[in-house]
Amino acid sequence: MSVRKSATTSVRRIATLASTTARPTTERERERRRIAVLCLPFFALAIVAGFVPLAMLVRISLAEDTIWMDGWSFDAWETLATTPEYRRVAWNTLWFVGLATGVSVALGVAVAHALEKYDLPAERIVVAAVSFPIALPGIVVAYLITVLLGRQGLVTNAIAVATGQGAHGLASATAITGLFLGYVYSLLPRATMVLRGTYAEVNEQAEEAARALGASRWETFYHVTLPEIRPGIAAAAILTFRSGLAIFGTVLILQSHQVVTLQIHNEISVGSYAPDVAAAIGLVYVVFIVAFTFVGLRFVDDDAVEV
Amino acid sequence: MSDVTLESLTKAYGDEVAVDGVDLTIRDGEILGVVGPSGCGKTTTLRTIAGFETPTQGRVLFDGVDVTHVPPEERNVGLVFQSYALFDTMTVRENVAFGPKMQGVPKAERRERADELLAMLDIAELADRRPTTLSGGQQQRVGLARALAIEPHVLLLDEPMTGLDAELKTRLRDEIGDLLADLEVTALYVTHDQEEAMAMCDRIAVLADGTLEQVGPPAEIYRRPENPFVANFVGSSTLLEGVAENGHVDLGFTELPVAAETDGSVRVAARPAAFDLGEGSLEADVTDVTYLGDRTRLTATLPDDTTVTLHADGIDGYRVGDSVPLSIDEQRVHVLE
Repeated sequence: MSVRKSATTSVRRIATLASTTARPTTERERERRRIAVLCLPFFALAIVAGFVPLAMLVRISLAEDTIWMDGWSFDAWETLATTPEYRRVAWNTLWFVGLATGVSVALGVAVAHALEKYDLPAERIVVAAVSFPIALPGIVVAYLITVLLGRQGLVTNAIAVATGQGAHGLASATAITGLFLGYVYSLLPRATMVLRGTYAEVNEQAEEAARALGASRWETFYHVTLPEIRPGIAAAAILTFRSGLAIFGTVLILQSHQVVTLQIHNEISVGSYAPDVAAAIGLVYVVFIVAFTFVGLRFVDDDAVEV
Repeated sequence: MSDVTLESLTKAYGDEVAVDGVDLTIRDGEILGVVGPSGCGKTTTLRTIAGFETPTQGRVLFDGVDVTHVPPEERNVGLVFQSYALFDTMTVRENVAFGPKMQGVPKAERRERADELLAMLDIAELADRRPTTLSGGQQQRVGLARALAIEPHVLLLDEPMTGLDAELKTRLRDEIGDLLADLEVTALYVTHDQEEAMAMCDRIAVLADGTLEQVGPPAEIYRRPENPFVANFVGSSTLLEGVAENGHVDLGFTELPVAAETDGSVRVAARPAAFDLGEGSLEADVTDVTYLGDRTRLTATLPDDTTVTLHADGIDGYRVGDSVPLSIDEQRVHVLE
């Protein structure tokens, strides 16, 4: 079959598909139309809020004049590729968010295990307390960290009283540990939510069989439960890592570690105004997130929780 | 293997009593069946022996040693579930070798033990497969091999045949029954299928509402039920009201030469086989006919309006409204004490 003939056949097929979706006569066609109608808002949003801004970012990053978006230039990309500072920010972001993800997922496994395996007193309160941070803006999380770990902070002063040291030297809200705590506080609910769903699918009778066969609680967790929740851990890690990369409010207030979101903010701030570089960083960020998600999903079973 | 004793075992969940003062012994090397309707406490009893439930009152003893508060992993109990509960992330061999591994058995020895058991259960060729690729019958064999691999004090089987098709169930039942008998395993076999319990078990315990109604060999349970519940639950029975006097029971419409312990009002349990159809001085009116292939089940009304269940040959052409002559075989009835 020639290329022209093949293309004509494809166009005809698409035209037929569009026609039968618009005017269905069979149940299958009607179902196709229902799916199209249900997906329409998503596609509209994806185009308006996703593809159009991304196209704009590409254009800004390649513009010679970023105010009037005039002319073409690779200067922003060259700057991004050759300036060591940007590589340092990228590395800072990856290790910091990676570590926060690891700690959040590990804590999430422990919390989900406790919630799903035991009858906890006041379980609803525990669930509410664990899920609460998901609704908090990053700025509020930063404020909470300051209230706890700042110079006037409750924890800082309690430690100061207990150890006899000065509160000034102990304050860690604006140190990297304070920011790390803020990240974990924000990410833990996401990890826990995914892992609780996974835990609900764990075969409890297999766990009981393992214990009857002589495995201690820890051995049962290691040999039976952990392999079963592994896809959930991968899903939680993907979701948490992506969310961690996007945190901005907390890092903007606490300012103790230079990460990619803060760098984009700095690039478009008065004083160092470089929207083309900010656009280039933004595009690298989006490409990285998409690639990371595709690679990460290979470690998640089809029936595991969607991320 | 060892014997298992339950002493006044009671398990309550709040106000709900699941098991109520059960005294029961599983003798060394015997297979004890536990039957009863849903919610009667069968599985709770099994889980208490395994250590997954702590009794509210009473004790569990293995060979006379109190294990009531010993955790499950220290009881050396083999568990076989209805849902198989295999470890899907391990191969069949790894599943079977898991228990010995937890017991600290060296790798070569546990592999050898696993292969031996798989061969014994005729599934040696499945050793490197994952459980999810096996049929229900194959998975249940793996579950049994895994439970036997630890050489348990007692093997606990929780409705292991439920969910299998009828033909496979019959085949597996015979095979497992023979294997357990050969290995002289002490086993508790929980099932709702009386036929399965009768075929496989040395003795049967009948539970109802958490209490033990009767325990004994299958034939005794069937032929001499101790109360109306057992008479009706194990097989089908007709309970005939009568009056016992001087070695006879007067049923009103006929008299049976059977002895009761005390004179007075009694109930006589009569299985379908106790009624000889086609001959006799009694007449019953057929009200329902169900063709079952090898036999026909009739529901009929006796002269005193008692409804009885009768079995006729499958080729006999009984119809609703027929009046059938019958007699009662006094050798096959049992007076309830």
